[in-house]
Amino acid sequence: MSRYGLSVWIIIIWILGSFVSQLLPLNISQVELEAILQGPTLEHWFGNDDLGRPVFDRLLSGSYTSCIVALTVICISVITGTVIGTLSAYLGGLFDQVVVRVIDIFLAFPGILLAIALAGIMGPGIDNVVIALSVVGWVGFARLARAQTLSVKHRDHVQAALVLGSRQRKIIFVHLIPLISAPILVEATFGVASVVIAEAGLSFLGLGVQAPDASWGSMIRDGTRYMLVAPHLVLAPGVALMVVVLAVNLAGDRLRDQLDVKANIKEGET
Amino acid sequence: MHPHTECFRLLAANILILSIFVITACSSPQSSAVRFGLASAPISLDPRFATDATSSRINRLLYQRLVDFDEHFQPIPSLADWQLLSATVYRFQLRDHGRRFESGEQLTSVDVKATYEFILDPANASPHRGSLLNIARIDAIDDDNIDFHLHKADPLFPANLVIGIVPTNIVEQGEILTTRSMGSGPFRFVEWPSQDRLIIQRREDGQRVEFIHVQDATVRVLKLLRGEIDMLQNDLPRELVHYLEKKDAVSVEHLDGNNFSYLGFNQNDPALMDIRVRQAIAYAVDRKSIIRNLLGGRTVVANSILTPEHWAGLKSVPGYTYQPSRARELLLQAGFHHGHPLQLEYKTSSDPFRIRIATILQQQLARVGIKVKLRSFDWATFYGDIKSGRFQMYSLSWVGIKNPDIFRYVFHSQSIPPKGANRGRYSNPQVDRLIDAVEASVDIDHRTTLYRQIQQLLLQDLPYVPLWYEEHFIASNDNISGYQLVKDGNYDGLGSVVKAASTRLAEAQ
Repeated sequence: MSRYGLSVWIIIIWILGSFVSQLLPLNISQVELEAILQGPTLEHWFGNDDLGRPVFDRLLSGSYTSCIVALTVICISVITGTVIGTLSAYLGGLFDQVVVRVIDIFLAFPGILLAIALAGIMGPGIDNVVIALSVVGWVGFARLARAQTLSVKHRDHVQAALVLGSRQRKIIFVHLIPLISAPILVEATFGVASVVIAEAGLSFLGLGVQAPDASWGSMIRDGTRYMLVAPHLVLAPGVALMVVVLAVNLAGDRLRDQLDVKANIKEGET
Repeated sequence: MHPHTECFRLLAANILILSIFVITACSSPQSSAVRFGLASAPISLDPRFATDATSSRINRLLYQRLVDFDEHFQPIPSLADWQLLSATVYRFQLRDHGRRFESGEQLTSVDVKATYEFILDPANASPHRGSLLNIARIDAIDDDNIDFHLHKADPLFPANLVIGIVPTNIVEQGEILTTRSMGSGPFRFVEWPSQDRLIIQRREDGQRVEFIHVQDATVRVLKLLRGEIDMLQNDLPRELVHYLEKKDAVSVEHLDGNNFSYLGFNQNDPALMDIRVRQAIAYAVDRKSIIRNLLGGRTVVANSILTPEHWAGLKSVPGYTYQPSRARELLLQAGFHHGHPLQLEYKTSSDPFRIRIATILQQQLARVGIKVKLRSFDWATFYGDIKSGRFQMYSLSWVGIKNPDIFRYVFHSQSIPPKGANRGRYSNPQVDRLIDAVEASVDIDHRTTLYRQIQQLLLQDLPYVPLWYEEHFIASNDNISGYQLVKDGNYDGLGSVVKAASTRLAEAQ
């Protein structure tokens, strides 16, 4: 664990904090007129927002929002993307061609714009954000899985399995997917970071969680109006967002370095 | 490419773009024009069509009207004095002042007649027509005298003649002066180069005034501090006003206003039909605390549409105070309790400040057990829903109400939209009778008494829960002087504003 350092600890704190926060008695919608825009105090560590609600409680609740959205979207994207990509490469032919075209079209279109359009059509709400980001998110995994599958499907053990008469499903799930899982895992880690940013972006635009629920994006949006007088409203969620995304990206880099066999051999030689 | 190197590149690109913005912003030219920051851009410069607050206020600078109001909102002569020839005939005599149009032509009674006849023609669909329907005929006697013949006697009739006078030739050509002006006011139109920038010029001394639309409140404050705008009026959260008050280079002045904020109810709703429910809401709202903590300044609790300073306003009434226990009691009597709570849908516009207030009201109503669902819409959808009665509860403001005939427009059972603004479908025969009686009466004292009775009755019956009159404030840089705030929040002070050549200006040149 120590070789991953701080970044993994931050991720663990983020995920644990998110789920534990659901068990805590948080005051995310407790309007307190006397405490409007109050700075940090001993009782309220990160101060109070424009309605006197404690920023710390809202930060934790926003953390849950971003965490649950990131994990759900990445799970859906990884599973659908990998299955579609692997199948496409393995089966080849017309199916492959159609899938490649679809992937190209999705990639040609800016992902976040598509998500905004979808969230706009389906109406604001956190479940629609999950759907919109998943619709955009599976493409990267499908492309990666397809490329990886193409490079391993001619290997000897796959040919051997074919000759031995293994069923296709067994070949895909036992002989192909485990081999391509390392790069997908790395991609998924980076995916978490981009989904966290995308969710914050959509909530910033008002397409994500609806008041009085909290999200880091909506907290930043609400805070910008008081940036001159109460910068803590923007700083708290902004720093939280940056720290989590940075930690996830760093952890992804470490993970890739570790899973990269060639690099490890080189390191061993020098 | 590694995703995080991509991040850094993006960041670098952003910093580059930002610095370009900052550099261009720094080189913004100083000017001798008084630059006035606006939260919403004007829509129309034609007094026959302008209805939004910004347009109406700018219209006052460009055009002259027959009648104006004093501080008690009594009509006083502006372009013209008037006398009552008979119960239904008013004679207006044009004064010497303010009668030269921008073209140099003289404003005469013919122009007055043309302007009002244009508005009265239903084909022109002027939004001001409704307030002038009592006019039967307009006769221009000579250049300076004009008679208004009415269908029925109305001692308050002059208060309706507040529309800017447009030259006859413009009316005859059928031109709508949306993007230029041709008035006889203290200012003349210069240029409207973009939606966000309107330039006018004071006729007396050539002083230019630029109206600059900056939507975001924080940006408006920053522009004021940087000297990109010289002054701004209203439309800032109180916290930003405090922030400006602490700045040495900016002075802030406050004045109590007459913009009336209220909670409106749908009287066809089975729950809100019950007066006990409406009273419970009135007792559950802690207006004093909201004013103290959120609105501040000179905002005061309201009991009626008309302020106490208004000649027909309620002078001192107990009104409703914050009594949550009484609210719960009333709700219980109306049949609502823990097991069967009152549930309401509360519509508001998507303006962040309105949502902020709505959220606070939602929480205060929750304290007495009323479950409020907040729905916010863009202005057009919201206003459309309110006008067609698709709401349970909503909040809005009446801006700049001076004429007490507002009561017929808002509370008479015959004034349900599109005929009037009785959006809550309020119907109280007693109120109807009083409104009819007040219009039949010609004695001003008697009218005043009747108006006060109407307001007293409305306060008991609560078709609206009155909230507060929002204050006005002006924040200006030190080189600006001579601007006088007025209760109605108009921009007339620009007529006497002076901008001193700043030291920054000297340096820049």
